[in-house]
Amino acid sequence: MLAYFRFELRRLRRDPRLLLFAVLTPVVSYLVFSGVTVRAADPASAGILARAMMIGLAGYGAVFGALSVGVSVSQERSTGWLRQLRSTPLAPSRVVAVRAVLATLTGIPPVVAVGLTGYLQHGVTLPIGAWASVVGLLWLGTIPFALLGLAIGYGLAPQVAQPVSFLCFFLLSVLGGLLVPINAFPVLLQRFADWLPTFRYAELGWRAVAGDWPSLPGTAILLGWALVFAAAAAWTYRRFAAVR
Amino acid sequence: MTDIAIHLDGVTRNFGGVPAVRGIDLTIARGETIALLGPNGAGKSTTIAMILGLLAPDAGRVTVYGQTPDAAMRAGRVGSMLQDAGFVANATVRELVELARALYPKPLPTKDILATAGLTELAGRRLDKLSGGEGQRARFAFALAGDPDLLLLDEPTAAMDVASRQAFWAAMRRYADAGHTVLFATHYLAEADEYADRVVVIAAGRVVADGPAADIKKVAGGRTVSLRLDGHSPSDLAALPGVRAVELVGDRVHLRTDDADATVLTLAHGTGFRDLEVVSAGLDEAFLTLTAATEA
Repeated sequence: MLAYFRFELRRLRRDPRLLLFAVLTPVVSYLVFSGVTVRAADPASAGILARAMMIGLAGYGAVFGALSVGVSVSQERSTGWLRQLRSTPLAPSRVVAVRAVLATLTGIPPVVAVGLTGYLQHGVTLPIGAWASVVGLLWLGTIPFALLGLAIGYGLAPQVAQPVSFLCFFLLSVLGGLLVPINAFPVLLQRFADWLPTFRYAELGWRAVAGDWPSLPGTAILLGWALVFAAAAAWTYRRFAAVR
Repeated sequence: MTDIAIHLDGVTRNFGGVPAVRGIDLTIARGETIALLGPNGAGKSTTIAMILGLLAPDAGRVTVYGQTPDAAMRAGRVGSMLQDAGFVANATVRELVELARALYPKPLPTKDILATAGLTELAGRRLDKLSGGEGQRARFAFALAGDPDLLLLDEPTAAMDVASRQAFWAAMRRYADAGHTVLFATHYLAEADEYADRVVVIAAGRVVADGPAADIKKVAGGRTVSLRLDGHSPSDLAALPGVRAVELVGDRVHLRTDDADATVLTLAHGTGFRDLEVVSAGLDEAFLTLTAATEA
């Protein structure tokens, strides 16, 4: 299993396009948007804004990274790599587990990169413990998105998996307040966002920055989504990927 | 029971109501080299997928070394080269071989695997940069890396050129001679004839013949006796012992016979003949006859 993990990790390193996209998009967005808004804000709220946007865009990159596993596994399924692996002693559940873990790891570089940008651009400083919990929580919090990615990838052909995962990513990030804070939304949309995994995911980071523990409802909602997406991934795997 | 590598007992499998395998019984002993011969759509790949545990049979039972296919696979006793299996980009041939070695309990040395599959020169090549034939060799390397007791090869020489093909079969022979069990599916009749100890002919999801290649030919109508037509009447020739079919080709007549000896003896004692030839029916013809018999 470790050998397979290393094999896949090396492949990921060798194709830096994905990571580059997952890192550059939020970093550039942060540079541009926070540059404008933070300068326009009054000095009292500028720091808060810089931090909030940092978490939002870090989450944006991490969610993109974790979801992108869908496109990879969809390709693996269609090229027959999955079938090749299934005819070795490696248990299929381990193949899926390795894929899921790798997907969550893809979420870390964007978080670190945007954090670094926040520090360099706006002097965002946090106690080292808070930095650690931001990275740690925003890593663990990608689990539901990795599972959603797997569900998409095992269920759909590559040509379809690509736009579907992008659509999921885009809708979830916008509606979950990763780009624009949900305070700016109409009330109905705010209540809707409360239930979204992306909002609850970013909330982990926003609370960690403020030195707070994850909220109970937030954690429960994230766990709920993780279970739903895990069930979906298990179903699409059995239905479409196991036999082919 | 430990001398049995593969056992299929009344195995059937449908795909959406369309039968692919309609009841196969098959026992393969340890160390045998078996050809699964049949046209496209005969059920060869489905049968192999069930032996690998990739597909569950609808009815019947499959055991591999006395275990379920899954258990045998997990124990690292089975290696396979599948038609519809493929590789990923961004990895080299050597990395693929190392991965396969890490997944099996008692792998062969990397150097030997690369040499056997003829990939030594290509070890550093990316998998997505391989030609069709090279890709097949990489699949072969992946299949044998773990030194599995049983090797399943589905249409292994597809996409290979003649030289690769010969090198491949030589390597397969060496592997089989070392005491491993090898089962390969093919629709190249010559391959089955030349490389298998035993040929199992499958048509329309059933075993229609099973035995040494020589026996298969015999079962399917044996020999062709051909001679100059001269004054012979085709209906007299058709009445000769053993003759099943009479065909006129130019000034010659071809007699398909089950018993060439009796046919020729009777001819010799009767009207005689000129330019007589007796040839063994190829496996190709045998195969057509067997397939036709099942479809009828």
